[in-house]
Amino acid sequence: MTYPLGLPVIPQMLVRRERWLGGYKVQSSPLVYPGQEVLPDQPVLRIEYEGQRDQGLAFEPQQAAFLSSLPSTGSERSDLPPAGSASKVERLPAGLRGRVVDITARGGVVIETQAAIVQGMIGAGRQVAGVMALWPHYASAQRAQTQSAQRPQVIPPGAILIVPGPLDFHMLSQAVHSGVVGVVASSISLHDLEGFLRTDLIQLINSKDSEQIQAQLTPLTLLLTEGLGTFAMPAHVTDLLTGYQGSIALLSGTTAVRQGLFPELVISLPVKEAQKELPALHPDVTLRLGARVRVSGGECEGAIGVIDHFFLYPQVFPSGIRARAVRLKLENGTVLIVPTTLIERCG
Amino acid sequence: MSIYPYPEGGQGKLQQQNPAAASSLLVADCGSVFTKVSLFGLVEGQYRLMARGEAPTTIAPPQDDITTGVIQAINVIEFITGRRFVEDGRIISPERANGHGVDMFIATLSAGGPLRLVVLGAVSNSLQTLAEQAIFGLYAEMDTIAAPSYQATLAKTPEQVVAGQPATVGNNGVWSQDRIALEWERQINRFLELQPHAALIVGMAEPPTGPLPLQDACQLLVKAAHGLNGQNGASMAAPGTSNEQCSVLYAGAPQYVEAVRRMINGAMDVTRVDPLSPQSLSSIGTALGTMHERNVINRLPGYERLQSWSGSTPIATATSLSSLVRFLAQHYAMNVTAIDVGGTTTTVMLAGERGEFIPVVNSGIGVGPGMAEILQQVGWQRIARWLPFTIAEDEIRQFVLNHMLHPHTIPTDSRGLQISQAFAREAIILTVDAMKKYTPQWPGTDLVLATGGILAHSPKYGQAAMMLLDALQPRGVTSLVLDRTQLITQLGAVASVAPVPAVQVNENDAVTHRIGTCVIPFGGLQPGKLAVRVGIEYSNGRQMNVDVMAGSIEVVPLRVNEQALLTLFPAPTVDVGLGPGERARAAEEIDGGLVGLIIDARGRPLVLPANEAERQARLLQWAQALGA
Repeated sequence: MTYPLGLPVIPQMLVRRERWLGGYKVQSSPLVYPGQEVLPDQPVLRIEYEGQRDQGLAFEPQQAAFLSSLPSTGSERSDLPPAGSASKVERLPAGLRGRVVDITARGGVVIETQAAIVQGMIGAGRQVAGVMALWPHYASAQRAQTQSAQRPQVIPPGAILIVPGPLDFHMLSQAVHSGVVGVVASSISLHDLEGFLRTDLIQLINSKDSEQIQAQLTPLTLLLTEGLGTFAMPAHVTDLLTGYQGSIALLSGTTAVRQGLFPELVISLPVKEAQKELPALHPDVTLRLGARVRVSGGECEGAIGVIDHFFLYPQVFPSGIRARAVRLKLENGTVLIVPTTLIERCG
Repeated sequence: MSIYPYPEGGQGKLQQQNPAAASSLLVADCGSVFTKVSLFGLVEGQYRLMARGEAPTTIAPPQDDITTGVIQAINVIEFITGRRFVEDGRIISPERANGHGVDMFIATLSAGGPLRLVVLGAVSNSLQTLAEQAIFGLYAEMDTIAAPSYQATLAKTPEQVVAGQPATVGNNGVWSQDRIALEWERQINRFLELQPHAALIVGMAEPPTGPLPLQDACQLLVKAAHGLNGQNGASMAAPGTSNEQCSVLYAGAPQYVEAVRRMINGAMDVTRVDPLSPQSLSSIGTALGTMHERNVINRLPGYERLQSWSGSTPIATATSLSSLVRFLAQHYAMNVTAIDVGGTTTTVMLAGERGEFIPVVNSGIGVGPGMAEILQQVGWQRIARWLPFTIAEDEIRQFVLNHMLHPHTIPTDSRGLQISQAFAREAIILTVDAMKKYTPQWPGTDLVLATGGILAHSPKYGQAAMMLLDALQPRGVTSLVLDRTQLITQLGAVASVAPVPAVQVNENDAVTHRIGTCVIPFGGLQPGKLAVRVGIEYSNGRQMNVDVMAGSIEVVPLRVNEQALLTLFPAPTVDVGLGPGERARAAEEIDGGLVGLIIDARGRPLVLPANEAERQARLLQWAQALGA
């Protein structure tokens, strides 16, 4: 379950998230109790599956790889039955550092944590936890910039990969074969996303039955910060994500417009930062002069600029529609007149 | 004409403000995508619309408070008028001597989505149909889960079909225990997936199933109540704790009502109504309307604050619209059809001069995020058929996805506008089709009253006229009126508290954009041949005859404030309302409009050319004729 925030990035806030795999054909037992402090790699739920893997709810090898790759204690592979058995057991790690505040009736564990949050425009896939790692191509570029040694890079199994740019079908296939559990990127074309998910995206995000339909998808959770197309990831999002490389995060890709659910990545703050008890930072969403905004539709979708004028009267657009509007100064110096409903704060 | 009962919207229990003394009113309509606020004030002794403001609705985080959007829309009015209406996050009331503040605040709501209703028990096809009729005028969507015992029993008698289920016949038509157990599991999962706000239990406990389906329904609810609490992230519910998310309406066999209460054992609230039948539709609709208010509207974030500002309890926008439409039908003694196309809901209401009323609130269908549902129901080709250019499926799908993810998007280029208007046509068609399903004898309409953003914001009046003619396909003679102010959905609510301002604003500002009178010949129109000769005698004595060929649209100049006498000479096989070939002469002068006198001789039903190039040429030709 995700709780939409309506904002792309929240650097720090106290949140509660239910750790739950999704779907209904799962029997779960909490391994923790309310009031208990948990670590991100600590198993908090024991899940038993009835039925076969084609239900989309069976134990995934990526998750096993993630559990075995975790550096700290407390994370253990469960007593997995032999392959092909009808009943399977999995222990889900918390994904978050914090305090257990509730156990839900269906057996989910609600954890309260001081976290940084990135909300996506669109995504797919159920909730997963993993270590955040930069896609090797970008990691190499980063190392080259810092003049560090060049070493061949592999995609770490069980990780949540960060791609600070657009994705394509080939990259997604590569990610799946590498055994990662999730990918966070800026954007992807509709064609590539539907090809990868093998589903009708409109049907997917318009479904009344989001949990069940997510469980039937390819086992890779996706979050796209900018949505469909070939948009770059805003610098402040990239900075936040690269800053948390190596941390464990909780990623949900569920996008259900009817239920108001959007994908999100929750990264518990390191102990030192969390102990500071900093006040929650809520970015200002008010449109005002000088505000940095992104155009969310029309021919200039994706353009980023600064508001430099509010028009007193509604403006007439090429369609003939009259609407209240602002003038934007884009990063390349050009100006653009856009309806106020077509822009959103992005910094 | 069939007459469907309609639940009366409850009006405000709070009457703190004195409507007689109100010289200024703020009226807010919180839609699923946009919140519109209007300021009414006294101008030379008459209530008039002074200013309007619009802002995105803010029920989702981070604002998470419906009043934030209302205040933002009021801020626009403050900007326009130079007056202040909000102070310290509250509406300034009453109006002050310096002009700041207002005497009254009224709100209507369609935000928050529909009431999700699940029908349980012995759900036969006929009961399902009745349940659908009961929710006709409500923001509601319905699913059916027939009891396993009912399905299992009827599986033995394959001629009977259970609502929402394919005919299921196993070995000798008998369900095994495993099959029943599987069905139980499926039903509980389905119930949890649907996350309903209300459950309607139906069935008269008749043979061969007896009361078993009612018992199944109760067991399902008890089990599901536990899961619903869990999914909401609440603490584990203690046994006997009522689930606040879902309420139960019992419309089954009366003799089992206490047994049902005992079985549900407080897991959910149970309200009893008369058993579901054509006679009880009104009371069941009213009860479901109350549940919508309690389980959806009252839970909107910021609702309590909004209510505290208001002189009356905020009511559903559809309820408000229904009051106005019925008032207009009776006041002007004519059949009135109201159309409201919103972002996620399309409403069509028909009120007759003799008190008939047929409302359809089509939840999930609209020109914002509701485009997805339209596309899924009709397919991309039916959208593309209204466009005078070639378009690929991918472009339409991308367009829909963009509107789902960015519901506040407005079309800034003409291509986007035309795609949106194509969706509006299909939204109206789907809603009218839903209405015709239960009202096969679709009555003629004298006046079409259109509102909603896509219609109200049409850059040209001809575009609005074209959408209405294409989608509604009226016949005979009718008039089109466009509510550019988007006020008609709110005036019913205003009238219940302050009738004088409602009537005056309606006449002065809301229904003032008269597009024109339309003559729509139907019957045996032969392409390329004369359909109707129109004789016009203007009030200044000038006379004119216009020959209109089948397959075309003509506009005869007849501007606002102009009147003319009309005589229609249809071709022998063509009907203008009095029978094939029957000449018709208007007893009274007809009024002009912003477009003029429209003669739509394209035929009914409207058939678009199959050839793409020809279809596009025709669409352009018709649009040019209307100045669209």
